[in-house]
Amino acid sequence: MIDLVQVLILGLLLGGVYALMASGLTLLFGVMRIVNLAHAALILIAAYITFVLFDSLALDPIVAVLITMPVMFGLGVGLYLLLFPRIEGTHRYVEMTVLLTFGLALIVEGLLAFIFTGIFRQTRPDYVMDAIVIPIGEDQLFIPTGQLYAMVVSLVLLAGLWAFLQLTRTGRAIRATTQNRAAAQIVGINVRRVSALAFGVGLALAGASGSLVSFIFPFFPSKHWQWIALMLALIVLGGMGSIKGAVLGALILAVASAFVQDAFGATWSPIAFYLALFLILLVRPQGLFGAKLRL
Amino acid sequence: MSDLPIIETPVEAEAPTREQERSPGTMTRWITAVVLLALVLIFPFIARPIFPSYNYVMQLGIVVLMWIAMSSSWNIIGGFAGYISLGHAVFYAIGGYVSGMILIHWGVSPFLTAPLAGLVAVAFGIAAGLITLRTRGPAFIISTIAMLFLTLLFLDNWEFVGGTDGVNLPLAPFPAAWLKVPFYYAMALAAIGSVYLSYRVAHSKFGLGLRAISQDETKAEVAGINTRGYKVAAFALSAFFIGFVGGIWGYTLTYLRPVAFLAIAIAARMVLMAIIGGRGTVAGPVVGAVLIFAVDEFAVRQFGETSLNIVVVGLLLLIALLFFPQGIVGSLRQSGKLPAFLDWD
Repeated sequence: MIDLVQVLILGLLLGGVYALMASGLTLLFGVMRIVNLAHAALILIAAYITFVLFDSLALDPIVAVLITMPVMFGLGVGLYLLLFPRIEGTHRYVEMTVLLTFGLALIVEGLLAFIFTGIFRQTRPDYVMDAIVIPIGEDQLFIPTGQLYAMVVSLVLLAGLWAFLQLTRTGRAIRATTQNRAAAQIVGINVRRVSALAFGVGLALAGASGSLVSFIFPFFPSKHWQWIALMLALIVLGGMGSIKGAVLGALILAVASAFVQDAFGATWSPIAFYLALFLILLVRPQGLFGAKLRL
Repeated sequence: MSDLPIIETPVEAEAPTREQERSPGTMTRWITAVVLLALVLIFPFIARPIFPSYNYVMQLGIVVLMWIAMSSSWNIIGGFAGYISLGHAVFYAIGGYVSGMILIHWGVSPFLTAPLAGLVAVAFGIAAGLITLRTRGPAFIISTIAMLFLTLLFLDNWEFVGGTDGVNLPLAPFPAAWLKVPFYYAMALAAIGSVYLSYRVAHSKFGLGLRAISQDETKAEVAGINTRGYKVAAFALSAFFIGFVGGIWGYTLTYLRPVAFLAIAIAARMVLMAIIGGRGTVAGPVVGAVLIFAVDEFAVRQFGETSLNIVVVGLLLLIALLFFPQGIVGSLRQSGKLPAFLDWD
């Protein structure tokens, strides 16, 4: 029994981080109908920035969030303006965005591999090796501190995202664009500006999650394919475009994969994500919340 | 019963085909086809006295023919039907593993089992197609990526085929001087076969149906096309020659390893070649394959085998999508400048 609780806790901790990783991805789809296959590659950029800062200046990865977020925001706005206005309104726009960001992911991966080589990296602040031990009767529950911190920061940022979307004027413009692009334009929203901004926000979230995963998972340049497959699975489960759905999907799948890992070993843990992805696409393509993905 | 009037449905009475409309180019096309075919077939004999590093040159030939086969095959589902699959490397892996494992356990040469490898890939394609093709557009693309990673996961963990380490295959029993020649002809067979298949599809009612699906699937369905059957058939057909070349390629490598076949970069390259050349055309994937292969070779010669190669692939994909999404052949045709020798449709 206590083992199951332990597995559940580990799953939920990871789920919080997955939720942050996927929140940007689902935001981009919601606002701009962009399926950003490069999202995990961009998270990787932030992870490497964090690694360099940690390695050279001993900067704490959690503090590095303050740097990676604005940097990735700027990169996001730039990338949006460079790539996407050009393909607006093309036949099969969403598929175009998949291919375009696929190319982008290859470029990022190649550049990272060129600069940092294929070696496994990880930032190792002191708290990564620690764990909080909670004695329950004769047994003990372990809560790894690193993952706990990462989840807390993730939840704070997700709450911040929620507040930004609900309470600010810009946030409302972004939501309006999500609901109906044409109508948003009619009521005077500068849709392109809002899109560029939302892309920036999405990548800022990627930046923050990059800093956080840098001490949770070892990473290397081609790692992002595993991450993107996993993130797509959970946002498809939650319903693409729905941030609430992404959070729920992340928690469900992270817990599921933690149980798979417990039962069959670590190598099989991603299977929960892939199988879930298949099943959901087949049974309920629109996910738990959110619009149908069939286009 | 026999009194019932039989209404003849004019199945064959279609509009004049494009060949009949544009007969002046027909001659040029035939000449091009014969010349290219002859060149491919006699190349090993010409190259022998010319190039001192004969095996190296033949290896280049093997690789370029393999990519022609793969991008032309991918084009059947990705180009004609417009269903972009990023998971076609799965069929490549299946081909490699089927032929390779037969070679190890029964000692039958992959040159004999490659067609079987292709058929196994087709069978897998039917099964996978029945599942993934229930989705459309971006959902389909995502599900093909999941298909790739799921297969990778199984191969990585399947001890019988060696897991992540894979297995080594025996060397082909040919004299070193002529080692590459049988591989070359096997790949040539696949390349010619897949281009011919692509041509036949393009000129059939089946191909017409696929193009209708690519334009507007709902309308195609309303028009009475069995869209589901067509799509699954196209998916499965596109698997055959990819499985075939996978079987041969494993023998060339002399080892089987999941990452050697199932890298997403391999799937990406097929897609890139077809898009740059012009997807949905017969000549496009061939042009794209030759071009990307040449760029690759050049990059490797100039800068060595670095990770920057994948950057070049990504950049080319971006440039193609942003500036000429219809590819070289498609764009030339649109502007009416397509030379007749490249007009294979």
